[in-house]
Amino acid sequence: MSYHRGICNFCGTGCGHLLLVENNRARGVYPLPGHPLSRGRLCVRGWHIHELLQTDERIIRPMVREGETFRTVSYQEAIDYTARELKKFSGREVAFLGSPRASNEENYLFGKFARAVMKSNNISLSSDAGLEESARVLLEGCGWPAMTGSLSGLRQADFILVLGGDLTRQNPIIASEIHFARRAGAFLVTISPRKTQMARLSRIHLRPRPGTLSMLLLAMARVLADEDLIDRESLAGLVENWQAYSEYLDSVDRDEIFRLTGVEEKEVISLARKLTAAKSAFAFYPVGIQSLDRQSMAALFNLFLLAGKVGRPGCGLCPLTGISNLLGSLDMGLSPSFLPGYFPADREGSWKRLEELWPVRLERWPGKNAAACLLEDNPVKALLVVDHDEEIIRNLNRIKKLELVVYFGAYQNAFSRLAKVIFPRTTYIEGDGTYTNSERRVQLSQKKVDPPGEVRPLWEILSRLAGSLGHDWNYRSAEDIMSEISRVVPQYAGLSHLKLKDRLGIKWPADERHPEGTDCLLAEEASQKFRFVLDDRESSDRPRQSSPGQEFPFQLVIGRSNYFWHQNSIMKRTFIPRREYNALLLLYPKGFVEVSEEDARALGLREKQTVKIISEKAEVRLAVRISPDILPGMLYIPYFVDDMIPEFLHRQVAELEKYEEFFLPVRLEKVA
Amino acid sequence: MYWLEKDQVVKLTGKLARDYALFGPRRDEVSGQVIFDRLDEPGRLDLQAAIPYNPPKFVLFPHYEEILKYRYQKQTRKVTIEKIDKLQPKALVGLRSCDLTGILCLDRFFLGQEFVDEFYLEHRKKLFLISSTCVRPFPQCFCVCTDSGPAAREGFDLDLTFTGEGYLVLVGSKKGQKLVEELQLKTAGPEAAALRKKMVDESVSSFDSFALENKAWISRATNRLTTGFVKPEVWEYIGHQCFECGACSFVCPTCSCFNVEDVNDNDGHTDRVRTWDSCSFEGYTRMAGDHNPRKPVEDRRNKRFFCKLSYSQSKKYLRPGCVGCGRCARVCPGDIGLPNVVTYIRREVTGE
Amino acid sequence: MENKLVPIITVPEAATVTEIRDEIDEVKTFFFTFDRPEIEEAFRIRSGQFIMGTVFGAGEFAVSLPFSPESDRKHISVRRVGKVTAALHELQPGDKIGIRGPFGNGFPFEEIKGKNMVYVAGGIGLIPLRSSIVHVLQHRQEFGRVILVYGARSSKDLMYKESIRDWKATSGFETYFTIDRPEPGWNGEVGFVNQLVARIDLPVENTVAFVCGPPVMFNSVIKELKIKGIKEQNIYSTLERHMKCGIGKCQHCAIGRTLVCVDGPVYTYKQIKTLGEQI
Repeated sequence: MSYHRGICNFCGTGCGHLLLVENNRARGVYPLPGHPLSRGRLCVRGWHIHELLQTDERIIRPMVREGETFRTVSYQEAIDYTARELKKFSGREVAFLGSPRASNEENYLFGKFARAVMKSNNISLSSDAGLEESARVLLEGCGWPAMTGSLSGLRQADFILVLGGDLTRQNPIIASEIHFARRAGAFLVTISPRKTQMARLSRIHLRPRPGTLSMLLLAMARVLADEDLIDRESLAGLVENWQAYSEYLDSVDRDEIFRLTGVEEKEVISLARKLTAAKSAFAFYPVGIQSLDRQSMAALFNLFLLAGKVGRPGCGLCPLTGISNLLGSLDMGLSPSFLPGYFPADREGSWKRLEELWPVRLERWPGKNAAACLLEDNPVKALLVVDHDEEIIRNLNRIKKLELVVYFGAYQNAFSRLAKVIFPRTTYIEGDGTYTNSERRVQLSQKKVDPPGEVRPLWEILSRLAGSLGHDWNYRSAEDIMSEISRVVPQYAGLSHLKLKDRLGIKWPADERHPEGTDCLLAEEASQKFRFVLDDRESSDRPRQSSPGQEFPFQLVIGRSNYFWHQNSIMKRTFIPRREYNALLLLYPKGFVEVSEEDARALGLREKQTVKIISEKAEVRLAVRISPDILPGMLYIPYFVDDMIPEFLHRQVAELEKYEEFFLPVRLEKVA
Repeated sequence: MYWLEKDQVVKLTGKLARDYALFGPRRDEVSGQVIFDRLDEPGRLDLQAAIPYNPPKFVLFPHYEEILKYRYQKQTRKVTIEKIDKLQPKALVGLRSCDLTGILCLDRFFLGQEFVDEFYLEHRKKLFLISSTCVRPFPQCFCVCTDSGPAAREGFDLDLTFTGEGYLVLVGSKKGQKLVEELQLKTAGPEAAALRKKMVDESVSSFDSFALENKAWISRATNRLTTGFVKPEVWEYIGHQCFECGACSFVCPTCSCFNVEDVNDNDGHTDRVRTWDSCSFEGYTRMAGDHNPRKPVEDRRNKRFFCKLSYSQSKKYLRPGCVGCGRCARVCPGDIGLPNVVTYIRREVTGE
Repeated sequence: MENKLVPIITVPEAATVTEIRDEIDEVKTFFFTFDRPEIEEAFRIRSGQFIMGTVFGAGEFAVSLPFSPESDRKHISVRRVGKVTAALHELQPGDKIGIRGPFGNGFPFEEIKGKNMVYVAGGIGLIPLRSSIVHVLQHRQEFGRVILVYGARSSKDLMYKESIRDWKATSGFETYFTIDRPEPGWNGEVGFVNQLVARIDLPVENTVAFVCGPPVMFNSVIKELKIKGIKEQNIYSTLERHMKCGIGKCQHCAIGRTLVCVDGPVYTYKQIKTLGEQI
């Protein structure tokens, strides 16, 4: 029995922890105070990660489907079988669904397997859309695809802006850093439709009318310009398209914006002043299931650039990832639009470079994400999936019809039940691997226990599979793969397991110039001149949707919980978080919809009364929960309520992919 | 009192390691963190290290402990149940007096009430305890306010005080006496007792001002808590900042709430396990069905601080439930922690 | 009548479910006997106590004991409310369960001998009172008037209909029943229990009352009893709490400064009021 240093594998915060290991099993967990970000704190999920690792739902042996049942086989048999099956398909007929919980090494290899071995560019993560959008905005604006600042300096911040989401639930320890910063004197502003805990802890909580967030941010920019709060001279030197943006700002109808957002002008003016005056300013926004939309991200970037808060030390735009290695997975190119290292897939040079490095011939055709591959009229025929639960729910029937589903996973889930071949893989404590948190910190998690039985790591399974398909990869360890990554992904150039072993993470880019990583983007070191992101100018100054119609007068928001995680297939394997989740569900066994006190009164609704929520495409029955946390005209449903997802939400995939700023128009009916 | 040379520590731990699994503070090389941990090599013990981030509670009251193992065959309706007794004797070396006090609280709670907790007893009766005087306190410490340090008074088998040259050794039990004799330690001089007292006095006077200022306020807060004088607004203010992570309970040397679950294993048997729990969770008091007597988060926070400081709870421990280690303040994402709670209660009185 | 009680503290004793009865919707009664004859012989309870039952492979549940300390078959009545009780409801006669206990204080019969007994129950609140009622009726001559006021949502939700029929055969057992809403074929009272309590003639002097039911019913009944003049220290109730250990260690059942599992579950209303938490 002893404690082993490691990192938490739940959310994109990447907290340091100590795992208590006894007789080859995780028996407890304790926070790691020396960790530069988490500083000795864990959230309720992190405090129970060892409970998850006790589950008896592990997959121990490879299996091949025979009719309705599975036959246990050896790894070699499963590999031979899969290789034989895969040979039947062309690259365009196969889709790859990676896991944002898998390590960089595993994801890198999964991507390489898709592109280099199967010649398929249909590779994605499914929960990556928001992060990808954020990367595009940031790349366009400043040539830097992720968090521009560094959380290390957060406690000295003067001004912090939190947008959307429920940060104390999604990334509790980052929310805690913000709370500490506030207690140390930072001016904390939350802009969110719901009164979240973060909003309660803030100095100011703004609730612009649904769908008008980007306009509010634009209004702040306009106020900066009108009040002459900007340093025009240095902007002109720093930014390529200052003139164009300046003209655009002038063209904005300021009064109209304030009218539409419903936020008081004097409040925005005082905020704009606070922002300019701040030496150190941060903005946080979620990417993932509750991501901001592109317009709001662009408006936020432009606002910060205008205020001189991009590329300056102590300042940062911070997209926050909800899953442990979401950022790392995108770094590794698990996306149809980016090759490893954010080389755009629509540029020939990106492919040429990779062909030389790997060296292998690659296909150029534009890939699609897994959801798109499944939804087309002529869908793909085969799907390879690593540890995933979400996609299955959305496209269950389409996946059932596929000719081949290969599942690589540690636990049984809905996917494993549908698969033709199942490859058990090690969990994150059973092997070495690196994980990259929201702040670009690449951390090495080392092996702490032996895997049960013969279970092999994913990289080894993929290598052997590639071997059967004529590609001799010859990796002997995850460390080997990292050394290849350091050659392929420029941001990781200076990283190796050896180096990471005795450090608590290194923030990329780590290269010759910055061997110990880079704290934040600095204008003087930037690879390009900055740009205001203007491509959406047509839409960013008007509401994201028309005002509520007669038929669907309410705007529905969807949210998160402490105790819910990824379709809950993970949290259901713990004791305490599961109990907490059930505690809530027992009060509202069929789930609940939050209604404002005003609306409840107007409609004569009682607490726990059953109502129907009806959208254009689907309907669901829920109990009423009268809440002071939301505005009249809004409804709120926590994302985690059991059948909500298949029954209701996933019928509106297209709408949902427009993220949090999109409010689903619905109506509410009483049930007799 | 006896005298232990610096280089004799290895002899002491080496001897203990023969009969006991050794636990003590060690430094993690990468993070610099001090962890109270199992020491496979006695040489990893670091008696000069700072106060460990974790209390030794997990040795007696594990985070996750299998307490029963049973197998039920549904077909034959045959049931076999066995209790798990596999515990090896353990030696805890370099215990801070706050942590030793924590163990004494757990003793009184688990062993001294109407029922004896058999699992705790099993761990406890096989322990060898060596405490170590805090000759200099750490910034978060306030054991002087809770009467639990910086030096131990009772409950140890041996107690060490580092003088700079070596250790003054106090014997607290027959087991301790026996070990001292086996190690052939020489008797400390007649000035030893005075020296130890001087070192402890110096330590007390070098506590952080917040601890020294709060000395009386802890008992005042205790009084106000017990008599219900703390205003609801204070609890509400605290409740808003609570992230509901449970950390304050998990790191507390005296918190001992637990959960019990039956966990089915792959091979057909079931383990009954008990795991740490916290009264700060909503589901903690919720009954099957839909009645939760203690729902709002401020109610639950209130409950925990009541448990740490109120008179009625103190009766169970024969002292306050807080031992002044300051850990709850260090792990709290909401920056609450007991010292801040006392500060808020104090502010309520003084209006500062 | 006090027997020496040696509770089963740590390791559950295996028992066989001998018979299962559907009581009301979602509530079943399980009769059981211990597998080891010496335990079957030695197992003694006091009215008002509870046990921790194990459904093998599912977990433990706390449940109050409805059977009398003497000459009554051992059984429990359990409502399906969570994962464990749902598993219990799946059991068939012949299946095994595990038992720890009995735990808790029980009703203080020595103190209340010779008094009038007023039982007021709502819904499944009759379960924890049943043991006491059977005991009192078995020693009918030692008590004054014995009255049961029992209400439920509908006639289908009234517990222990057979037992009640048997008890009525005992001389000097007065019963009043009520259901929330009128129903065809129901000739008894209609309305909430507290309204019924207010209407009927109850003894006040030399009387103890036992109240058990959902929190709203509990509070409203207490109010009526106090109006009638029954003193708070003469009103008893048994409290239910989330429980894990049964022996005062896990702390789940803490109310104010007491633990329901060792200090309760039987409290006087006077005590309940001073616990300082909502019940």
